[in-house]
Amino acid sequence: MTEPAVELDGIWKRFPGVVANAGANLTVRPGTVHAVLGENGAGKTTLMNCLAGVYLPDEGTVKLHGREMRFSSPADALAAGVGMVHQEFRLVPTFTVAENVVLGSAPRVISRPEINRSVAELAERFGFSAEPERPVWQLSMGERQRVEILKALWRDAQVLILDEPTAVLTPQEAEDLGRVLRQMVGEGRSVLFISHKLNEVTAFCDEATVLRGGATVASSVAIADVDSAALAELMVGSSTKSTETDAQRNTEMGDVVLAVDNVSVTDSRGLTAVDGVSFEVRAGEILGIAGVAGNGQRQLTDAIAGLETCRTGSVALMGDDLTSATPRDRFRAGLAYVPEDRLGVGLAPKLPIAENAVMRHYPKMRRGPILLWDRAKEFSAELVSRFEVKVGRVEDRLASLSGGNLQRLLLGRELSSEPSVVVASQPTRGLDVHGVAAIQRLLVEQRDQGTGVLMVSEDLDELLVLADRILVMSEGRVAGKFDPAVASRAEIGAAMAGVS
Amino acid sequence: MKRLVLARRENPTRGGQPLAFLVGLVFALVIGALLLWSSGDPVIDTYQRMWERSFGSRDVISATLNRAVPLALAGLAVSIAAKMGLWNIGAEGQILFGATAAAGMARIGDSWPGPVLITAMLIAAAIGGALWALGPALARSEIGVSEIITTLMLNEVALRVIRYLQSGPWKDPDGFGNLQVTPLPDQAALGNIWERAHLGVLIALAVIAFFAWFMTRSVWGYELRIAGSSAKAATYIGISMRTKVLGVLLLSGAVAGFAGGIELTGTASRLNENISNGFGFAGIIVAALALMRPSGVLVVAVAFGGLQVGGQSIQLLGVSSAVSAILQALILFGAIGAGVLSAYQIRLVDRKVA
Amino acid sequence: MIFGGITITEASVIGLIVASLQFATLLYLAALGETIAERAGVLNLGVEGMMAMGAMAGYVGGVASGSPWIGFLVGGLAGALLASVHAVAAVALGADQVVSGLALTILGLGLANFLGDSYTSDTRRSLFKDVDIPGLSDIPWVGETIFSASPITYVAAALGVLTWFVLSRTSIGLGLRAVGESASTADSAGHGVAAIRMTAVVIGGAMAGFSGAFLTLDTVGAWSEGITVGRGWIAVALVIFGAWRPGRVGLGALLFGFTLALERRLQPFGIEFSPILLSMLPYILTVGVLVVISYRARNQPSPTPAGLGIAYRREER
Repeated sequence: MTEPAVELDGIWKRFPGVVANAGANLTVRPGTVHAVLGENGAGKTTLMNCLAGVYLPDEGTVKLHGREMRFSSPADALAAGVGMVHQEFRLVPTFTVAENVVLGSAPRVISRPEINRSVAELAERFGFSAEPERPVWQLSMGERQRVEILKALWRDAQVLILDEPTAVLTPQEAEDLGRVLRQMVGEGRSVLFISHKLNEVTAFCDEATVLRGGATVASSVAIADVDSAALAELMVGSSTKSTETDAQRNTEMGDVVLAVDNVSVTDSRGLTAVDGVSFEVRAGEILGIAGVAGNGQRQLTDAIAGLETCRTGSVALMGDDLTSATPRDRFRAGLAYVPEDRLGVGLAPKLPIAENAVMRHYPKMRRGPILLWDRAKEFSAELVSRFEVKVGRVEDRLASLSGGNLQRLLLGRELSSEPSVVVASQPTRGLDVHGVAAIQRLLVEQRDQGTGVLMVSEDLDELLVLADRILVMSEGRVAGKFDPAVASRAEIGAAMAGVS
Repeated sequence: MKRLVLARRENPTRGGQPLAFLVGLVFALVIGALLLWSSGDPVIDTYQRMWERSFGSRDVISATLNRAVPLALAGLAVSIAAKMGLWNIGAEGQILFGATAAAGMARIGDSWPGPVLITAMLIAAAIGGALWALGPALARSEIGVSEIITTLMLNEVALRVIRYLQSGPWKDPDGFGNLQVTPLPDQAALGNIWERAHLGVLIALAVIAFFAWFMTRSVWGYELRIAGSSAKAATYIGISMRTKVLGVLLLSGAVAGFAGGIELTGTASRLNENISNGFGFAGIIVAALALMRPSGVLVVAVAFGGLQVGGQSIQLLGVSSAVSAILQALILFGAIGAGVLSAYQIRLVDRKVA
Repeated sequence: MIFGGITITEASVIGLIVASLQFATLLYLAALGETIAERAGVLNLGVEGMMAMGAMAGYVGGVASGSPWIGFLVGGLAGALLASVHAVAAVALGADQVVSGLALTILGLGLANFLGDSYTSDTRRSLFKDVDIPGLSDIPWVGETIFSASPITYVAAALGVLTWFVLSRTSIGLGLRAVGESASTADSAGHGVAAIRMTAVVIGGAMAGFSGAFLTLDTVGAWSEGITVGRGWIAVALVIFGAWRPGRVGLGALLFGFTLALERRLQPFGIEFSPILLSMLPYILTVGVLVVISYRARNQPSPTPAGLGIAYRREER
């Protein structure tokens, strides 16, 4: 039996407050495309970063072809034959394709025609075309990804890691990628393919390792022997998380409070992030939006709150069209928004607690140009006690708060003006059990008081318990509508994974 | 094998900046002593004389305070822009153009009574400073041109505006062929309030106190803090980053221009190209050492004022007055080192095995 | 010859070209050094100070050794030493580049004035003598100007070609540019960001020092306080005017050098225009170029190194 190309054994990696990998294992045979599967936050990227020299694991061993390695930098790993293509590309936009490919291992004196020729030859060998003299900033995302792959091949990497490679590709480009990968493993190299899209995994990969909660739950499963549904169940797991909130479903729904009609949003890279999404939220319901991160949820909620412009479509609150209103006007009109990024968008990290608490309300606390700090502090103190935010003093730095308290402060601030609609994006992500329960309880209370709640979450279990209706987003579109009372996890999971 | 690395401390040392400043001061004095000693100058005598001639008597303290005024106002101007993460490197030019505008006002109102004229001159100075910042401010807010280089370039232009005025338009007809502008009318001088200290000391104190209060208590200052802390958070609640950038740079320019006006009416008999004397650049160092806090700016400006005034006195000992500039720069470098050491610790770690 | 009131004589034209080349050499040396530092992502506003150090040390070295070449090298060394303060503060310690650079200018001017204080001596024997290129220097007009220039003018031109070659045609240059554009990319490709940046800053300092030494050992022929009169700031402007490219910076040096030379020679030509207004031109042109660059950057990448002014520290692991 041949030595495995990659062997990760008992990898632990902890970050402040989070355990990303908890004794994960992975074995990759040479000459195979190996899928690393798991839900968001399962620890896939961290594990691969440990292999690629980005992180040093806290515990565990990394072996390449039977030899134990300790990489202190990505350059180290690359020198040992491990190349990684990150989701955020590491390219110099003003450099040409060839310059990017040879960066770090260029001949001492560079002849442009020569490197252009060698890079073109290399690309051809693996069955894709490249224009070596084009500057990278002119390339599409798919083309940039190929430059990243070429970078690894230029160093003759034996192990190539691709992190969610198809996220930026068109279906045609994804197919092309599949061919390139087959060509590579045909030469005896190994490819690690991080993904959560089951259809691609079944199409491209030979074996799969499934991670959940930072640990390996299934190791080197042969794709040919297992069907998508089984993989999906391994990924999602049986419902183990208990949600403390005992949410009684609301049977009487009120009027439409938020109407989103055919909204499309273009993201900063010029790609369509939200593609003609329509739905309504009624008073007294929680509409849950499920989906894997990066399928347009962020842009959708930002567009509803006025932080992104809608390319098409309209947003109406209580029947009033707000498509072109400012964020401040939308808030005034009764739209509260808990953004995905609590620190940096929802809250200003360098400012004291009180200054964060009144960020939405200070226009009512001024006398001429002067802000009435006494009133602001009073308001903050009330907010803090009403929403049980544990703080020393309201003058303290925001940084002194824990994640759960930050979110209570943010949600409390948004709720304190009696909104008619609450849009909450990933409101419980990263919180501990008590934090999750408290936030969920607040949202359910709002619903019970007749507020319309739109809740985006990657945690399907959470939505199954809390939501009155579930809408699944995939690739910017609505991929399915479900009634949580009757829908099965497998059904919803399949829609999330893009299996139709 | 082991190697040294810088690692961020979990809990940065508290109250670090006054300490860092002191460490910087000691560092500067030690290096300065080595320099003096190596070139055969008397170390103790030099330092003693610098101290005596800057803080040693009421008379010299008043001179130090006068010198601290433009430094403090320039430092304040820089720190206002820095609240939004912007660098106003053009305080030097804004001081010069502010003084030019004030001098222009004095030409218009040379028969006005003193208080009226001085008030008009100071207002003109502030407007002049803001005008000098307008180009870089608009370029930054509308097109996104980095304000660092544009403000810097305009320093050199402002200097030449004064030279141009000296060479012709405002040339002193009684200057015996010297390139100088006509002197200010007598009533345009700020009166002295204590020893040699002029009224500008009180005015500067009031301006700094006002901004210390305004930046913390006003709605505008609050919105500025949000925008400076996170542009995304500002957008999220509906604050316009464009108008904030424009406003803060204009205000910063106005304060620097105002410093030019005070300097002109307080210490000069006529507009000249040395009216700023590097105050704009020193102001950046002052603001950086004060971590952009108005109260800190005040303290550092007085210390730097003393160094500058004391530095002039050591020429009589046969020591170059450049010692003062060297010490000012070394304080900053020393404080940088101290600041890093308080936020980081040097650790020995295993070198990579592979 | 008289054209519309403008008097042109051979002597005045030759004088103008000679002076233009001198100023261009002075500016080019310093701006080339700053180009290298900025291409690596480090803004160094200490050029004026490094130039002053080079001027003082170059002069002292030239007088002490009796050789202008040794003086020139000493000037470069002094500039490099001063620049290493910026390299440590702004790169190794991650201090703000703007603050550190400005403090460097103050430090350099102060040190030069302190160390060069009362340094007077006869220097005629330690000055550079213009080089007549055999054959070519006899050509009328051209020969007397371009082919009979200071040896340092040729050195500057050669350094310009060398810089262009290293930046665009070698792996070192590729790495340096990558560090300036995207430090994290260069780091993950195995280029040591701090080492490259610090080296670039020190080389930049050496070239500013050369520029200062040229000033005292050639153009002026003496050292005095304040001899750099703000030329360092023009060098900073020149880097932007030349869009961070050695060749274009060279053309800009000729243009800026020409305006500096013209400043003092308007009257001999009988031109009624304030030389002071003319002297504002380089700065205003630079602001204009910067505005155009930023305006264009909406559709295409800016020539400004993307990582300029941004301290880099690898993600903590």
